[in-house]
Amino acid sequence: METLVQSIVSGVLTGSLYAMIGVGLTIVFGVMRIINMAHGDMVMLGMYGAFWAHASWKMDPFLSIVLWVPAGFLGGLFIYRFLLRKIVPAGELNTLLYTAGLSLFVANLALLIWSGDYRTIKLPYAIMPLRPMGIAVPIPLAIAFGLAILVTAGLYWFLVHTDTGRAVRATSQEPEAAALMGISVGRISMITFGLGTALACGAGVLLAPSLYLYPTVGEILVAKCFVIVVLGGLGSVPGAIAGGLILGLAESLGAVYVSVPYKDAIGFVIFLLVLLFRPAGLLGGGKS
Amino acid sequence: MWRKFFAGLLVLSLFVWSGIVGAQDTLKIGAPQPMTGPDAPFGDKFKKAYSLAVEEINEAGGANGKKIEVVIEDHQAKNPLAATVTEKLITQNKVLVLTGGRASGQAVEIASVAQRLKTPYLVDHPSADIITAKGFEWVFRNNPTGSIYPQAFNMYISEVPGCMPKSAAVVYDNTVFGKTIANSAMVFLKSKNVPIVNDEAYAVNTLDFKPVMTKVKAQNPDFLLMVAVSTTDAILLTRHAKEIGVTPRAFVGFGGGFGVADFANELGPLAENVFSSAAWSGNPNDPPTKAFYEKFHKKYGIYPKEHEVEGYASIYIIADALKRAKLTGDLAQDREAVRQALLQTDMSTVFGRVKFGNWAGPLGDQYTNQNTYSPEHSVLAQWRSGKLLNVYPKTNAETDCVFPDPTVKR
Amino acid sequence: MKTVFTVLALVALLIAPLIVTDPFYVHLMIMVLMWTVLGVAWNILGGYAGQVSFGHSAFLGVGAYSTMILYLNLGISPWYGIVLGGLVSALIALPIGLICFRLRGPYFALSTLAVAEIVRLVALNWESLTNGPVGLLITTLPPVSLWGEPLNWESKTPFYYIIALIAAGALGITFLLARSRLGAYLLAIREDIDSAEAIGINTVQARVSALALSAFVAGVGGGFYAMYLRYVDPDAVFSISLSVEMVFIAVVGGLTTVIGPFIGAVFLVTLGETFRTHFLWGHLVFYGLFMMVAIRYMPEGIWGRVRKLIGNRVGVQNG
Repeated sequence: METLVQSIVSGVLTGSLYAMIGVGLTIVFGVMRIINMAHGDMVMLGMYGAFWAHASWKMDPFLSIVLWVPAGFLGGLFIYRFLLRKIVPAGELNTLLYTAGLSLFVANLALLIWSGDYRTIKLPYAIMPLRPMGIAVPIPLAIAFGLAILVTAGLYWFLVHTDTGRAVRATSQEPEAAALMGISVGRISMITFGLGTALACGAGVLLAPSLYLYPTVGEILVAKCFVIVVLGGLGSVPGAIAGGLILGLAESLGAVYVSVPYKDAIGFVIFLLVLLFRPAGLLGGGKS
Repeated sequence: MWRKFFAGLLVLSLFVWSGIVGAQDTLKIGAPQPMTGPDAPFGDKFKKAYSLAVEEINEAGGANGKKIEVVIEDHQAKNPLAATVTEKLITQNKVLVLTGGRASGQAVEIASVAQRLKTPYLVDHPSADIITAKGFEWVFRNNPTGSIYPQAFNMYISEVPGCMPKSAAVVYDNTVFGKTIANSAMVFLKSKNVPIVNDEAYAVNTLDFKPVMTKVKAQNPDFLLMVAVSTTDAILLTRHAKEIGVTPRAFVGFGGGFGVADFANELGPLAENVFSSAAWSGNPNDPPTKAFYEKFHKKYGIYPKEHEVEGYASIYIIADALKRAKLTGDLAQDREAVRQALLQTDMSTVFGRVKFGNWAGPLGDQYTNQNTYSPEHSVLAQWRSGKLLNVYPKTNAETDCVFPDPTVKR
Repeated sequence: MKTVFTVLALVALLIAPLIVTDPFYVHLMIMVLMWTVLGVAWNILGGYAGQVSFGHSAFLGVGAYSTMILYLNLGISPWYGIVLGGLVSALIALPIGLICFRLRGPYFALSTLAVAEIVRLVALNWESLTNGPVGLLITTLPPVSLWGEPLNWESKTPFYYIIALIAAGALGITFLLARSRLGAYLLAIREDIDSAEAIGINTVQARVSALALSAFVAGVGGGFYAMYLRYVDPDAVFSISLSVEMVFIAVVGGLTTVIGPFIGAVFLVTLGETFRTHFLWGHLVFYGLFMMVAIRYMPEGIWGRVRKLIGNRVGVQNG
């Protein structure tokens, strides 16, 4: 029983971070129909941001989120405005290939600059986990969980209660109608991409103390990202959240109860099944 | 189209030509290593080690009246590239002998090419048994094979009273390295009737070991054996094991990752009393080892570990062979002469004693040209207060073992 | 005019190893030709049919492993093994296609990633078949005699001619495909799959055919890989980076052209070697950069751009 509870807790905690990464990817897809292959590398950049903030300025990595989320937003704006904007009209295929090239570029540039040495962030208050009722809850992961919820709630509030947010949702549902309503689709696209990148960087910052840093970690993460957003339905924010949690749980429980070597395959198999039988996502909120 | 073809070739040849080291009259040693890409930090270690060795040997007069030189080529941890650069080193750079490789996958390629193109290859670090178990007479290996790694651990639990595990959980990475070591350990444990309660293979660079450790904890093993080819896996395995609350009498790590300074740096007190069973932890009772340590540190600012010592030793072994070989200037003949000289090797290096022979390994592999002293090289060490100290066998020991692990609340 | 060029090219291909004798350069030519085959394979699906696959290494790997296993376990000569390897790849492509082609565009691309990863994990863990992470190693190739003389497998020449033959065949397949009805269907699907359906094209059948063909070529390429490099392990042949390199070759060389993949392969190998030997770091950064530049400024690829410059004397079908 304890094993089951432990698995569930671990799965939910990790899942919340997956969810945050997934939300960033899904809103970009929802508005622009772009699948950003470089999303995982944005997460990686956030991770390194947290690391350097800690190593160079002795800043607690969790605090550095206030620095890197806006930076990510600006970076996303920049990437969209100067790089992606011209590519999008060329079609989905080209955009996909372009972002794949971008991913390769960013990951290897990072490898070049920061070398392949693995790095971890050591936090003095994070050595031993909390043990509520005998279940191990690692402290950095718990903090990340809390912050992820905050950020996602913040995003939700933005999408529902601000004009810009509503414009984002409108564009996501029906770009032509939105344009007719006077929404500048180009501007909204740019803002959305910025948001997506900001979320990715933020997730990276939160992940950094719990994982290790590695320039090509984006590769592994992007694969998980896609599983999440497809599970939840491409374009659906609550879907991405659910998807993240489901993946976290599936991996955690799968490893313990099914098989460790095939643990990663579980995610992919679920992914394929969902794509086949419920392409709009498990919750049906997505677009095809 | 053919114009483009030949133009491309011309351009290529221009670049490649300019990349070839100038034709000095040196004895060339080829070393494919990962110099870029994710494995680059390791390639760098070997580069440093080779440089130091070359410097020392040349200062002492070189070999056979000439200076020696190591030509490093980048294979980026990719098998086809490893084959490409080995060919290049053999046919273009005309090296007399090869070393290096770093990862087993690439080393197998290099061995295959070396065997076919009849160039001696001295394996310094890659541990897959298969490299010296295919009857390749041109391939030699100084370091222990994966199946030999657990030797010191096996001796420890057999010889020291009360140390035989009552049960064991084995968690290992799904690579040649991990599987071989895990297999070897498990075969031995089974022969001593120790039940293996967990046999878990994980994917390298797994981000999260909590599920695995949750599974392990449920079995409450007496010993936890962890194998990791990657340093970060080693760190995370240990951290997550302790976070989840696995409480064995001993944590035993196999693999380079458990022996590097980062392990203690990152884990802090969590690293205390973790055993590390690796190919070499340095025999501190040995003055040449101490001297090497200090010299390396003075030149590069870091202390050498397994990789550096293996690289350094291999250059010395090669230089020794070069000194004894009768070199005539005919490439094919010279390579054969070097091979013959290697067969006659009988010396001591900082890494340990070297003599190549054909014998059977612990899992039954028939080795060709494998260092017959390899079983000696396996050492069991333990982390104590941030320092990795040898604890078994006694001849190599710096201190006593701490067992059972008192920091683990059972 | 085209025929003259083709004949000249074939002649050059045939005599190249007689002119260039340094085994290292022959090796590079072999690698270029092998990459050409892989690029062609991807181009059939990604270029002509417009279905982007990020998991093509799965077909390469299956072909490579099949050839190896057939040889090591059943003693089937790699000559036949290569073709059989291609067939096995094509076979597994069928269920993959039927599953993945339910999905459009980017979804399809993602599903190919998932499939490739699953295949890799299976290869890694199904030890009794694949020997797991240890991989499979060939130490001796079977003796083959040609015109009474046994072929010397230690020399590069037999391998060169084998891959040259395969590459010429692959390019030929593309050429024929481009002028065939299936080729026309694929291009229609690439432009607008709904319209293609509307005018009565069975898009699933067309795409699955393209996939099977593409998988066959990739599998044959894989089989050659196994024979030439003599060693396969799951991480080497099922890696994402191999898949990406195949995409790169086709995209940079010229999608939907016959010769594009060859140009792309020359580019890839030359670029790789140049950076690798000179700068000792960073070449992958340039792959990414070039891919971005290519998509942005030359989506038709190098060869596509060259053709435009020469003047479009021939229609898009003739590559």
